[in-house]
Amino acid sequence: MDAFTLSLWVLRLAFVGLLYLFFVFLARALWRDLRTTITETGRALGRLIVVGSPGGVPPEGLSVPLDAVTSLGRDVNNSIVVEDDFASADHAVLTFRGRAWYVEDRGSTNGTYLNGQRVENVAPMGFGDELQVGRVRFRLERVAPGA
Amino acid sequence: MTLGATLRRVRVRPRMRIRELVLLASVSMALVVGWASLASHVAGSLTLGRQFSHLVLYLGAVFAVHLAFVVAGRRTDQLLLPVIALLGGLSLLLMERLPQGLATQDMGGVELGLASLQLLWLGVAMLLVAAIAIGVRSDGWLRYYKYTWAAVGVGLLLLVFVLGEETNGARLSLRIGPLQGQPSELLKVILVVFLAGYLADNRTLLAQASTRFGPIKLPPVPYLLPMVAMWGIALAVVIFQRDLGAALLFFSIFLTLLYVATRRASYVVLGGLLFVGGSSVLYFVFGHVQDRVDIWIDPFVDPLDRGFQIIRALYAFGRGGIVGTGLGAGLPQVGESLAIPAVHTDFVFTALSEELGLLGGFVILGLYLVIAERGLRIAAAADDDFRALLAAGLTLVIVLQAAIIAGGNLRVFPLTGITLPFISYGGSSLLANAIVIGLLLALSDRGPERLAAPSAGRRRGFRAGMRAVGGRIEKVIS
Amino acid sequence: MSQRPGGAPSIASALLRVAIAIATLYVALGLGASYWQVVEAQRLTNDPSNPLSLAAARSAPRGRIFDVRGRVLARNVKQANGESIREYTYPVMAPVLGYKSLVFGASGLEKTYDAELAGIRQLTPGDEMLRKFRARPYDPQDLVLSIDLRLQGRATQALGGNRGAIVAIEPTTGRILALVSAPTFDANRLIDPVEGRAYLKSLSEQPASRSPLLNRATQGRFTPGSVFKIVTAIAGVGSGAIDAGTRYQEQPGEEESGFLIKGFRVRDGHHLFTGGEPLDFLQATEVSCNVWYARSGLRIGGPALLDWAGRLGFGQPIPFELPTAPSIVTRGEGPGGGFIDEVELANAAYGQGQTFATPLQMALVAATVANGGTLMRPKLVDELRGANGGVTPLGPSAMSQVLPRGSADLIRAAMVQAVEGEWGRGFAGGARIPGVTTAGKGGTAEVDDTNRPHSWFIGFAPAEAPRIAIAVLVQEGGFASERAVPIAGDLMEAYLKLPAE
Repeated sequence: MDAFTLSLWVLRLAFVGLLYLFFVFLARALWRDLRTTITETGRALGRLIVVGSPGGVPPEGLSVPLDAVTSLGRDVNNSIVVEDDFASADHAVLTFRGRAWYVEDRGSTNGTYLNGQRVENVAPMGFGDELQVGRVRFRLERVAPGA
Repeated sequence: MTLGATLRRVRVRPRMRIRELVLLASVSMALVVGWASLASHVAGSLTLGRQFSHLVLYLGAVFAVHLAFVVAGRRTDQLLLPVIALLGGLSLLLMERLPQGLATQDMGGVELGLASLQLLWLGVAMLLVAAIAIGVRSDGWLRYYKYTWAAVGVGLLLLVFVLGEETNGARLSLRIGPLQGQPSELLKVILVVFLAGYLADNRTLLAQASTRFGPIKLPPVPYLLPMVAMWGIALAVVIFQRDLGAALLFFSIFLTLLYVATRRASYVVLGGLLFVGGSSVLYFVFGHVQDRVDIWIDPFVDPLDRGFQIIRALYAFGRGGIVGTGLGAGLPQVGESLAIPAVHTDFVFTALSEELGLLGGFVILGLYLVIAERGLRIAAAADDDFRALLAAGLTLVIVLQAAIIAGGNLRVFPLTGITLPFISYGGSSLLANAIVIGLLLALSDRGPERLAAPSAGRRRGFRAGMRAVGGRIEKVIS
Repeated sequence: MSQRPGGAPSIASALLRVAIAIATLYVALGLGASYWQVVEAQRLTNDPSNPLSLAAARSAPRGRIFDVRGRVLARNVKQANGESIREYTYPVMAPVLGYKSLVFGASGLEKTYDAELAGIRQLTPGDEMLRKFRARPYDPQDLVLSIDLRLQGRATQALGGNRGAIVAIEPTTGRILALVSAPTFDANRLIDPVEGRAYLKSLSEQPASRSPLLNRATQGRFTPGSVFKIVTAIAGVGSGAIDAGTRYQEQPGEEESGFLIKGFRVRDGHHLFTGGEPLDFLQATEVSCNVWYARSGLRIGGPALLDWAGRLGFGQPIPFELPTAPSIVTRGEGPGGGFIDEVELANAAYGQGQTFATPLQMALVAATVANGGTLMRPKLVDELRGANGGVTPLGPSAMSQVLPRGSADLIRAAMVQAVEGEWGRGFAGGARIPGVTTAGKGGTAEVDDTNRPHSWFIGFAPAEAPRIAIAVLVQEGGFASERAVPIAGDLMEAYLKLPAE
């Protein structure tokens, strides 16, 4: 095998090697994401407590553990179905982004209220804040210790 | 909404994307080395070759997209761009070493060959990825007009039936002026948009079966109609367009999304049975379906005609072995004729597996698996059902298509002529897949400025009118 | 997900299952790729239809083919346009060499040894891997055949315008000395880039029975007639059903009246000169007595006859460097794939019935007796020679031990008597070689009422230390003694007298 053939093969194998190096980088990124997801899903992010519900659905006093995304409305596809004549089908959505909670009105007819203020588009939300969808009122709380 | 308003809403806040940068750097390094091995083989001495500018241009486009992402500052996925950059780079390497006469186009007096054309399309595709990933800030235009989209899709299909040009017995392409396109590539994206919208709205009902059909529980009949329509469309594609690959892809995406939306395996089984039933009827009625299956079972029954392509492909896999022949040292051509017909569209996986070996083949398959992981992760983290189903569907478009054609090359499945996403030659395919990746990136936004759910207050003027029209169509259809 | 009262099932868990399904799908693809690129890689690469072989043909000269004495039989020559094309020097070699066309593939030895001739055959996966790292990846090999061009030419000439086949073997090694099928084709015309296609078409249009493309020696199956009696004799002696003293009291009478089995009459009237005494094994073979052999067939029994014929190669394709058709004793329409009834068995025992054999198979029968009961595997290529001087010898190997030497000697004696005996001379005396004891058996195989019978002969010489075994078939050549016997005698004599190099 002459020098050129040898160096050509070094190049060829280096190419395949570099392709696999890229995969090593990819695998590291994937693994990190996976670990983050596991630790995130390991703990509940918060809970919503029903503090007032004239129609009874959801029942008063119900405590709902929250995912990163929770939708509220009259439509059955929502995470929390609010059976109230003043609630819209797709009423509002609660999201946990980074380290804070946000509430977003999804174009409801009667509006979403945060501590009595009507929410325009998106508003940040803190623990203890009160949320009103239709006539149903919720309170955002931390997960009870040990729960 | 005016352009000014859009710009005001898009607050530019640059954000470094270290992970993407590192991955792109390693992609570039690999591609430069690969390019050198190819050019050196051709020249017979160590060189980067005269066409090195092609690679420089391509990598320039990729890094420009990266830079645009950084400037735009959205917290979108950082793995997808490097993965498609590598797939596109492999495509460029392959097109560079195939006979340039396989595709030619006259562009303002300059005759462009295979590699130049592919480079051009890759560039446009990158632009499209960037535009969609940065520009798409709302999904209302997809979410609310699903029946409009469905109508557009059916219209495209009809247009191909009527005006389509036939190549190799399949009626696939539309010609507009000098440009030729395959609408079925775009159709698959539209299909996913429609399905995501339909299933997101009706999945509760679909999941709660109420009609019993022997041992199988079915949802109320009116909700089944769109699915039966899907089945009909898939069959129509096979019968009138003779495009088995697209039909298989459509139907498998449909069944998978149906499962994701309802988690009812019985639908998948039922759909699978319908598919098998339909296919076996087609097998006995249509010669081209029968041919495909027969040569899949044993290509050597007709080695010089129907089985020729697949046999030649198997030889190429064999020649490649584990480490491959090396870039440029494969055998795409014997004398003046191609060793494998349609090597630049249907058999790119074979061609790359020959030159890069089993090791390289694994890399390609792995890249699609990474796309699958990213896409499904985006779906799982989506804010609502529509986005989850949309992300899952878009992922399936790429991942299943790659599996169907790679499996066809490897004789794992019957061979159907569809493209390998981002690697096969062809503008339509590249652009459609660029739209898919662009949308996935937009959907993956994790920042506070993330893709907004549309709200009634923002829908005004033209869009409100469209919404009303869409709503009416929707009522009529459902 | 408890917080979804009445809601739809969770999408996330469905996605996980989809992810698992996709991963499974891709693992299947990976396994598919591994199968073709690791498990099957070598077989695929060595396949003569692989375009790699065509590419090699363009970039490296294909290996040459020589006869046993080094005469060039096939080589590559440069054409005016710079392309290299195959040239076949001796038309008589066509049935052995076949052709190598750039348009429609290859046949014959050109096909069997395509990978070696093109220089792409690698014997181990390690070689295969190393080849990729060489600057010149092709290593064309020359073939050296066991065929003696002089004998091959003479045999072709002997058949003349007749259809037929001749196979000559060295009994102790299985080396093929001549292999002729007539009519044959012109390989140079077939591979001609201009004329080839039309020529192939004209050849293919002929009916199969007259096709020059059919290799009669290895793939043509013919009713063997009396030459098959040697197979029956081997089965009888081997199984112990008959010995040198076996006689049938009914036989002399039945020669006049016919031997009646279930209404079928085995007729045999042409050797009344033997008188009224029952014939023993040697005599029956000498005069080719159908009644004696029909009775022996019944005594041996169907299963044993099939078993012993199978040891000689009947019933399956003979392992060989050219494609072979399996010779059969019966079509197997009877119970258990055997004879239909005793009538068929009795007829098969003297080579009629549903018995069909290739000339190669019958040559192997003669060679087995000649070699003391051991059947050597037939072979055409003595050695491969690499461009760098490396030689790969392909040595002889035994296919099966059919008979012990003593039993073989008894059959040899019968075959000597059939040629040299007082009565035998009348049938097969034409095969005698002055000064050399010759063994053999002629056969006149009835095909149907309209055509003349096939003329057969199998034999070997010298009887004590055989150097050549031969099978000669002349289709519709009439009585054995008319055509096949003298041809065989002439060829064996010619071979024995050929000057050694």
